Amino acid sequence: MVQPQFLGRTGTAMDDLLNDFLAETAEILAEAGGAIVAWEADPADRAQLDAIFRLVHTIKGSSGFLALPRVTALSHAAEDALDQVRRGNRAANAALVTGVLGIVDRLNDLCAALGQDGAEPAGDDRDVIGALSGQGAAGDASFEAAGAPLRRDDDFGAEMQSWRSIRVPLPLLDSVMTGVTDIVLARNEFGRLLRESGADPSLVASFDRLSDSIAGMRQSVSQMRMQRIDKLFAPLPRIVRDLAHELGKKIAFQTSGGEVELDREMMENIRDPLIHIVRNAIDHGIEPLEDRVAAGKDITATISVSARQSGNQIEIAIRDDGRGLSPDALVAKAIASRIMSAAEARALGSREKLDLIFRPGFSTAAKITAISGRGVGMDIVKANVEKIGGVVELRNDEGRGLTILLRVPMTLTIISGLMVRAAGQYFAIPRGAVREILLEGGDTVRIDRVGGGELATVRGEQYPLLRLETMLGRGRHHGDDVDDRALVIVRPGQGQSYALSVAAIHDHEELVIKPAAPMIMATGLYAGTTLPDNGRPVLLLDVQGLLAAAAIDANEAGRSHDRSMEAETEAAAARNAAQLLLFRDLNARVRGVRLSVIERVEEVPASALFESAGRVQARIGDDIFPVHAATLPEGEGTLKLLRLYDGRAVLCYPIAEVIDIVRLPDAVQPSVEPGLIAGVTLVGGEPVELIDPFWLMEQYAGEAPAPVLRQPLCRLAEDHDGWGDNFLAPILRGAGYRVISGKAMSDEVPDVLLCIAGEGDACAHDEGDVPVIRLRASVAAAGPGDETVYRYDRQALLEAMRRSLGGTVG
Amino acid sequence: MMEKLYLVARIADTRVALRSRAINSVVTVGTPVEVPAAPPHVAGLFALRSRVFTLIDPHVVIGLPAVAVAPGQRVIVVEVAEHGYALLADEIEDVCFIDAPETRIAGKLLPGWARVADAMIEHDGASLLVVDPSNFITLPALKAA
Repeated sequence: MVQPQFLGRTGTAMDDLLNDFLAETAEILAEAGGAIVAWEADPADRAQLDAIFRLVHTIKGSSGFLALPRVTALSHAAEDALDQVRRGNRAANAALVTGVLGIVDRLNDLCAALGQDGAEPAGDDRDVIGALSGQGAAGDASFEAAGAPLRRDDDFGAEMQSWRSIRVPLPLLDSVMTGVTDIVLARNEFGRLLRESGADPSLVASFDRLSDSIAGMRQSVSQMRMQRIDKLFAPLPRIVRDLAHELGKKIAFQTSGGEVELDREMMENIRDPLIHIVRNAIDHGIEPLEDRVAAGKDITATISVSARQSGNQIEIAIRDDGRGLSPDALVAKAIASRIMSAAEARALGSREKLDLIFRPGFSTAAKITAISGRGVGMDIVKANVEKIGGVVELRNDEGRGLTILLRVPMTLTIISGLMVRAAGQYFAIPRGAVREILLEGGDTVRIDRVGGGELATVRGEQYPLLRLETMLGRGRHHGDDVDDRALVIVRPGQGQSYALSVAAIHDHEELVIKPAAPMIMATGLYAGTTLPDNGRPVLLLDVQGLLAAAAIDANEAGRSHDRSMEAETEAAAARNAAQLLLFRDLNARVRGVRLSVIERVEEVPASALFESAGRVQARIGDDIFPVHAATLPEGEGTLKLLRLYDGRAVLCYPIAEVIDIVRLPDAVQPSVEPGLIAGVTLVGGEPVELIDPFWLMEQYAGEAPAPVLRQPLCRLAEDHDGWGDNFLAPILRGAGYRVISGKAMSDEVPDVLLCIAGEGDACAHDEGDVPVIRLRASVAAAGPGDETVYRYDRQALLEAMRRSLGGTVG
Repeated sequence: MMEKLYLVARIADTRVALRSRAINSVVTVGTPVEVPAAPPHVAGLFALRSRVFTLIDPHVVIGLPAVAVAPGQRVIVVEVAEHGYALLADEIEDVCFIDAPETRIAGKLLPGWARVADAMIEHDGASLLVVDPSNFITLPALKAA
């Protein structure tokens, strides 16, 4: 009889057992770490405690069978301590949890050694076991390699669960996958032959049934490679707990969407980026306690990791409620670490400033810390995610937190590809990198040759243009129709884009991607090969590699058009923001009103205001408007009136002067009761009362139907050099007149005639009753009897107009 | 006794004995898919049982001009470093058990052959070059080419 431990190293059956044990234990330990942290947060959670107990118990059982005394002793100690808690003999406290976690760590180390050497290394575990028993290292640790443990009733539940799934080696899965792909290819060929042979419909129908079940099987096989993203999240609670303890921060950690499934190979690829981002959030994102208090935040910070599926992409969001990123601090840091010059930094947009964290050699922490300052920066995270066809996005809310989004395809091996043709053969482009497809001859596309290179302009945006044939060193295929040529706008990474010109677009397909032979990958132009359903291999283009091969700068930043458009959108946004007209009212109080409700500011002589039926009214032109005033203003001279217009009626609001136009502040303290003042806000630190135009209009609505706004018609005569049209007409229109020039024919009799070249001569236009105002070009009047008005005396001119109109209407 | 088993074939206008250990199978191919911008000895890609294989033209490896792939041409499928390749063969003769020992190469070979040939072997009254198929794929010669 051979000793079991000897068997463990040589016998193949035992090797398999050991491998199974290691795989299972690694999973259990990851799961246990998370469960223990959750239990620590809520020691009363009996279900959690039972779960942990079962996990530890399973390890103990398996290790006893494989004769791994250290593993058995460790798991026994943990099991024992947990059992004491279960029986109520011991309280769950931080020391106990730390002790159990210490055992978990030691078990992890042992398993790593086992995987490498196939044997348990010699060593002493009394330190961790002692720490758990609370008696220090000197404590009793005489747990000998235990025999087969006694089963407790509640252990069977866990065993039952593990029977519902089986372990399958990955190569076996791959071979099943290959087999199914073969079947699919054979099916396609068979189907083609069947159609060509004009087979019996019943034969075709039965083939279609076969075909459907093959499609279903293919689906199931791809699902076999999928794993719940839970596995990826499992180690995170532990990492958060340990790091938070170390840094003296309080953090509540949550995960959601653990049921989302992901290809297990994909999972391997995002494990490190995910852990790095979470560590970053704890170390840099979450403020120290006192800062959180100062910022009025909850002392306990929240970090959440959530996953969700959208299409065949998985979106993982890592959100924290820390300080977020400060674009200005990032810029200062970039300049300090000589990543860029101050001049370059000034040219950056706000988005680009945030993207600085992805620059190699950039670390946001003021000092390198032991936690995340380990030379693995966000640049590595980004590179790793992009390598698997994913993207990293930032959603920053400065002062309130940062969300980092990882968007990755569901599987590495199956991607959605766009099939294009060039040089007489097909190529695939990863669909995720394609932003837009346009016909090269389309109206929206303009192609310019610039110094030997080509540039495509699509709706005002410029892209460097690459022709796929040229990139591949081939000529155009004789069979290609020039009308089919298309531009694929490719975005290989964030902030980069170019236009790829191809002979034709074929279609979209779900593609199984395999790496190509090394000498083909070495060209840098291809990312792999794929086998579409027609059975002819197709090369997958490396969209980033093409860029490198072309040696062009595809950076979107600094493309002149881009920037001017950005500035334009910003300006448009500023225009759209509500604006506030600040004025001083007759009692010298500063008040404000939304600019959009003001039709214009009118300046009228005090005499234009009159009292009628207890109301103050204003006569402006030939219209009469209500004025918001209790009494007639005293004094002579002129008066400024804000004309509020609600689309139907006009109300005048007398003011002393207009002060400024500012952006309407977000924070307004509303009044308790509705009234003239809607609320108070701060402008430049000074309180400003906001007029409520709604309330104001309401007061005057309904009484006296609003006078019909008939704008008086003004005809310009003798306007030989166009001065009237160019200089005068806009002012008149602004003052509320309709203007027609001398040549325009109109049936309507004008209310006033402006004779522009009225110098001395009698104006030829003498149209009976229509009042005539003559303008002169010289400043000085010809004599005391001169009725003409100097043409640049706006005030006098408008006054004369008003007078003459008053005469006719009056 | 796999070590004594050789595939005798005419490759790049020369009769050779290929060590059979690395050889998967001998199949016929249709028109391969070209790989633009690839090294000149890559004659294209073709699919076999849902795997994509890279077709290698030994003529180019030896330093001769490339030959066109004729539909139905036989190729020798080999596996090197987990990638599948196929060598274009002018003619496949036989798989035979050669008992004679491999001997040191006597005489001067063309530089191309000198790079890929490992030894010589006596078979049916003729001297054959013994070649490991993988020598056609990993090529120091190509850097010079």
